[in-house]
Parts: sequence; C-alpha cells; structure tokens
Amino acid sequence: MASLIHFLFFLYSFSIIGSYIILGIISVFETIEYMKKNKFVNYNKILSSNISPSISIIAPAYNESLNIIENVRSLLSLHYANYDVIIVNDGSKDDSLEKLIKAYNLVQVDFLINEQILTQPLRKGIYKSTNPAFEKLIVVDKENGGKADALNMGLNISANKYVACIDVDCLLIEDALLKLIKPFLESIDKKVIAAGGVIRIANSCIIEQGKLLDINLPKKMLEKGQILEYLRAFLLGRMAWSRLNGLLVISGAFGLFDKKIAIGVGGYDTNTVGEDMEIIVRMRRYMEENKLKYRVAYIPDPLCWTEAPDNYKTFISQRNRWTRGTIETLRKHRKVGFNRKYNSMGILSYPYWFLFERMAPIVEVLGLIYFGYLIFNNEVGWDYIIGFIILAYLFTVLFSILAIISEELTYHQYKKKGTGFKMIMIAFLEPFVVHPFILYAAILGNKDYYFNKKKKWGAMTRKGMNKA
Amino acid sequence: MVENNYFVKSFEESSLVIQLVWICIIVLVFSIIFIIIYLKYLRSLLRKNDLLKIKIEKEYEASVINYLYAGNEAEEISAEQQAIIDELKSNISETFKRDILISTLLKLSYEISGEMAESIHKLYIKTGLIDYSLSKLRNKKWNIIANGIRELTLFHVKEVQDQVKIHINHPKTEVRSAMQLYLVNLFHFEGLAFLNDITTPISEWDQIQLLEVLQLHKNQKVADIKSWLKSTNESVVLFALKLAKIYNQYGVKDELMALLNHKNIKIRVDVIPLLSHLSIIEAKIILKNNFKELSLEEQIAFFEMMENVYEKTDKPFIMEHILNPNFEIKFFALKILKNLNIDEFNCFKDLTSEPEFVRIVKYIESN
Repeated sequence: MASLIHFLFFLYSFSIIGSYIILGIISVFETIEYMKKNKFVNYNKILSSNISPSISIIAPAYNESLNIIENVRSLLSLHYANYDVIIVNDGSKDDSLEKLIKAYNLVQVDFLINEQILTQPLRKGIYKSTNPAFEKLIVVDKENGGKADALNMGLNISANKYVACIDVDCLLIEDALLKLIKPFLESIDKKVIAAGGVIRIANSCIIEQGKLLDINLPKKMLEKGQILEYLRAFLLGRMAWSRLNGLLVISGAFGLFDKKIAIGVGGYDTNTVGEDMEIIVRMRRYMEENKLKYRVAYIPDPLCWTEAPDNYKTFISQRNRWTRGTIETLRKHRKVGFNRKYNSMGILSYPYWFLFERMAPIVEVLGLIYFGYLIFNNEVGWDYIIGFIILAYLFTVLFSILAIISEELTYHQYKKKGTGFKMIMIAFLEPFVVHPFILYAAILGNKDYYFNKKKKWGAMTRKGMNKA
Repeated sequence: MVENNYFVKSFEESSLVIQLVWICIIVLVFSIIFIIIYLKYLRSLLRKNDLLKIKIEKEYEASVINYLYAGNEAEEISAEQQAIIDELKSNISETFKRDILISTLLKLSYEISGEMAESIHKLYIKTGLIDYSLSKLRNKKWNIIANGIRELTLFHVKEVQDQVKIHINHPKTEVRSAMQLYLVNLFHFEGLAFLNDITTPISEWDQIQLLEVLQLHKNQKVADIKSWLKSTNESVVLFALKLAKIYNQYGVKDELMALLNHKNIKIRVDVIPLLSHLSIIEAKIILKNNFKELSLEEQIAFFEMMENVYEKTDKPFIMEHILNPNFEIKFFALKILKNLNIDEFNCFKDLTSEPEFVRIVKYIESN
C-alpha cells in the first residue's frame, strides 16, 4: 500500500514537472515565432484607419472613486481610431458617478438598449459628454449586480463588433487595442473568438496622466514574488496553450472578445467568481458543439499593467477567489473533460487544469499530511525526502530564472542596474515567501467552495498606482 | 577528505532512484549557475548594446547629414560624399551596425522630403545596403525574406519588382503581406494587379494596410475593379468591395448585384450596405422580394439599407416587420413607419405591451 502511495506521488510530481518543461519549450518557440512575425509590423497604418474594426472597451467600476478620473482619461487616450469606452458604474456607494459627471461634462441621454442579456436595471441612467473631446465616453449607472453583470450591461450597450473587457483600474499601454485586434484580423482559416495579452504588475511603477513612465521593482517580497509568478505564467505557460489552441482563460484584467459570440453564449455568468475563465470555456464549447473552426489567441506583449495585492490578507482573498472560480468553471463544464468531442480543450486543456491547477494544492496538502504521518511513525526515508525536496526546489528556481531570461530576450522591461540580481534572489526566495500563502489560499478556496457557498468576491483595497 | 569519502560512500550505497535524484540535483545546480551567469551576461550585453546603439546612431546621423550637405552641382558625388559612403560601407558588414544604419536612414528620410529624401534613397544603394536587402530575398528563412522586401519598400527600390513578385503565393502570410505592401507602396493602384494572380487569401489586417497605403497616394483614380469582384478568391472580392466603397465605384453595379447571390455569406452581407451607399435602388426590390430566403444578418443589413431608401410603397412590407422577433429589424421597421406616416405609427404604437416593443416605441417617439 505504502509503495502504491509513493508511486502515485512520484507519478504526479513528475507529470507536473514534465508538463511544465513541455509547455515552457513550446512557449519559447511560440514567442520566437511571434517576435519574428511582428518585428516590423507598422501599427500606425491601422491606428489611423477609419476602416479598422470598431471596439468597445467595457470597464466595470465599483467604488473606484479614488482613481476613476485618471483611469478613464487613460482609456480615452489609447491609440486607435474606432473605439468607445463604456464605464459601467455598478451601483457604487461612493461618489464615482458625481466625479465622472463633473470631470467629463456628462449629461444624461436617451439610449436604446438591446437587452440581449438579462442584467440588473439602470439606476440613474446613461450619460454622455457634452464635450466633443470625450465623445468616445459612455457612462452607465446601474444597480449593483457584480462584475459579470456590469460586463453584461456593457455587452448590451456596445454597438461595436469587438469588446475589450477590462478592470477599470488597469493601465493599458497606448497601442494595446491595436496589438490585440491583430490576431482577429490576420486569422484566415479560423475565427478568433477571444484574445489576451500579458498582464504586468504596476506596483512601484511611476505613472503620470495614465501613462507608464518608469518601471520599478517593488520593495515588498510579496509584490516581487507576484511579478515573478506572472512572468512564469504568462511567458512560459499561456503562449504554449495558445499554440496548442488550448487556452481556457483570458485574464479578466484585459481581454478582447468577438461580441457576437460572447452574446450568443449568453454573456458572463453572474453566478461564478471566475467569470473570466468561465466565459472562455463556454465560448469554446459553443464553437466545438457547432463544429466551427476557432482559436483563442494570446500574444506575449505586455499590454496591461495592474495593481497587485501588497498585503497577505488581500492576496489570500484574491487567490481564494481564483481557486473558487476554477473549481466552479471546471465543475460546470465537467462534460468537456477527457471528452474527445471537444478536441484539444477536452483532451488537453481540461485534464491539465483539473489535474495540475485544481488538484495541485490538494495533492500538496495530502503529501504534507502523509509526510507528517511518516515522521510520526518514524518511517521517513530521509535520503529520499531530502533529495526530492531539493530537486523540486531547484526545478522551481530554474523555471523562474528561465522566465526572467525569456522576459529579457523579448521585452527587457526591468532595465535598471541591480534588478537582475534582485530578480534572481526572488527566484530563490519565492518558494518560501509566496508559495505557502498561495497553497493556504487555495485550501481556503476549496473550503469556502464546499462549506461557504454564499461567499462571493473578497474586497480589494485600492491604493492607487504611483504618480510621478 | 574523510567527509568526501563519506558522501561518495553514501551515494554508492543508496538506491538507484536516490542516485538518479542526486545526479539530477547536480545537473540542476550547474544549470542554474550557468543560466545565472548567462542572465548576468545578457543583461550587461543588452545595456551595452542600448548605449552603443545610441552612440552609433548619433554618428551615422551626423555622417548622413554631412553627406546631404556635401554635394555640389558639378559632380554627381563629391569627394567628401564619396568618403562618407566609403566609411559607411566599411561598417555595414556587421548586422548590428547595418540595422542601425538602415533605421537611421529611414528616420531621416521620414523627417525630410523632396531631393534630400531622394538622396537618402540613393545613399542606401551606394553604400551597398541594397545588396544585403536583395540577398535576403534569396534566403530560405521567411522572416528574412519579409525583412528584405520591407527594406526595398521603404527605400523605394522599384527596379526589383520581378524578384519581389515571385513571392506572391508564398506559404507565409508575412512574406505575402510584405510583397503586397511593396507593390502598393511603390506602384499604387497599378500595384494592385497582383490581385489578378493571387490564389492565397488576403487577411483583413493586410486589406486594411493596403487600403491605407492607397489613400496616402495623390492620384486617387482607382483601377478597374470589375474582374476582382468576380474573382474566385473570396478575399479579393471582399477587398474589391472595400475599394468600391471608398472610391465610390458606381460603374460596377451589375457585378455588385450579382454578388447578392454569392455563396459566401460575408460577401452577401457586405455588399448590401455598399449597394445602399451607392444608392443602387434596384437592389432593394430584389432583396425585398427574397427577404424570407435571406439569412438574419442579410435581413438586418437590408433593413439598415431600407432606412435610407424607403418609399411609401414599402409600407405593407414594413408593417409586416414591426413585430419581427429581431430587435434591430423591429427597431428599423418602427422607425421607418414613423418617418413614412406618423399617424399610422401612433395607431400601431400600442399594438402590443411586449417590453422590448414598448421601449423601442418610446425611444423613437422621443428622438
């Protein structure tokens, strides 16, 4: 029996490490291919083109009074010809709406909404600016219904072919829309239904008038650890899934969608806290079930900078929600899992997410419990234990440093002298300083999912990004 | 020594699995040390290259500006200019420096115009950079071919079009795209002749780029697009539709009408607003008579068209659709009805208490 348990743990560990290696290798090839393809692309031609497709940016806002004016200004100054910005004030209790009205000369307008997705009703109504400089801006004030509900309201209101769903506190780089629309427009044989780009952490970066001026590494270990974690996930993971057409998630911070398909599947699910993953899985299911050729695209450009939690309480709350979101989505779409009918999603992505994302924290905790049991019974093979712990640790460090190298070779954004050394130090320390909290949050997430069904979103306290 | 012996002995006495694990650990430790050294080297190199690039760019910029002002009317190339050419030539064997020179030349050519810009294009040829670009066309790697074509485009080298055109149906989209942009940038509407021969699809991205290049050109006299509207390559037809709209091609009415029966739904849907834009009223009658056979997308496009071309005789048809289950069609039908006859609109506005209908009526009444 003990041998069988040992064998299963070994099998699991080597499978997960093997999958990381394979995904890492595929990511590298995909990133190189992308860089070659896009080295000389002249985005300016599309930027100024009136025949470029129209995009709506939908940004739900709940009690974002602190930064809302600056965030909206940043969204209004993106480089793209045909776009509008729909701010959905989701029943905020603060003075977000009043601030917006004052700053952007908004007046209430008569607006006909095609209610293709059911949402909470409007509260005060829909506002547009009297100032032609802000003609792209639409502000919707509605009753509170959560992020997914606010995004659905935006989908109903948008008159454009594509919708970019973003977190209002995110900072988009100026040509983010241009870069993200490209996969939709260049695809010939497959319909691109959604696309995402790399999300970077803006803590300690200097931002002025909605523009990123200086990129810095934050001081706190938790923030630095998250930077490394994001680099690993985005540069060594998602690029590979994009290549395999197996992406199951486009970050809720910034993603571009084909509106017709997003509405066709019923919009965002308001009953999950993982709405960003859930809608992608549902859109993919729709395409697979209707035997339509499609692709979920992903590009390695850092398009969006976001504020990451800077304290353990918020961090754990965020990761708890991510865990619950993953469980909810995988459970809701369990029909897809290990089902050849759903092609790469059924036989690759779903099993991977189930085994190595959803089950990983549980297996890890079971491993720790079993380890405790062995110690208690004095049955520990210390030579095995020490060897495997060191091996796992070194592999994590190696993988993290490879992610840093990948960043250096592609976008080289952390240019300052001494940053390289700090990043290496993070790679060595992160398994002790950040990972245990991720594990704890994941276990809490599992507990909350099964025993505290009422729990929804945790509160994320915004401090605002650093101003110059 | 004793300690070392202990470790060696322990290793030899341990099981195969443990031995394997320790071998992996040693490999990983050395790998980590190696990649840390590499990372350090890489960061230093990138920083050094950034600084070097700025320095060389400044030097090249100064040389090129000197070259531009060193000419005299007596000679095609003055002695001073020849010296600058020779100096630049001696540097371009290194890819790093060559790329900087190309980007410097391009940067300066964007900032100036007329004879000066022409001189920069000549400098590109005289320094031998053109030979490097041409050699790229013969390379096996697609990204190098695309880069070569791009350089020839940016320096307006028209004479090599035959060498560029051979890539018309290259398996890589990026090469085809570079080839198309070369032709359109340098030969404008005449360059579009490649549409007669292309068998591979032109992506929406490439179509937009081509149209934007065409619009920059002074001569806006479009080539004959009839044959492209009949092309078996559907992307060529879609591109021709865009050309027809931008350049108001009234002369292709028959070809456009024929496209209403095209097998590709996107073409059928795209041609409807174009017919409306060109005020080709005959299309309305055909579409109205076949309305039930149209797809929903075509039906919506047709109602958008109707908004601009409705007549009193259309009232019975419009009345049939004021309760259409589709939101857009219902909206257009009610709006047209109000414009046709407000009294009748008022009569029918209470036809049903269906919330969607009521909202549309309210909106139309107040706008």
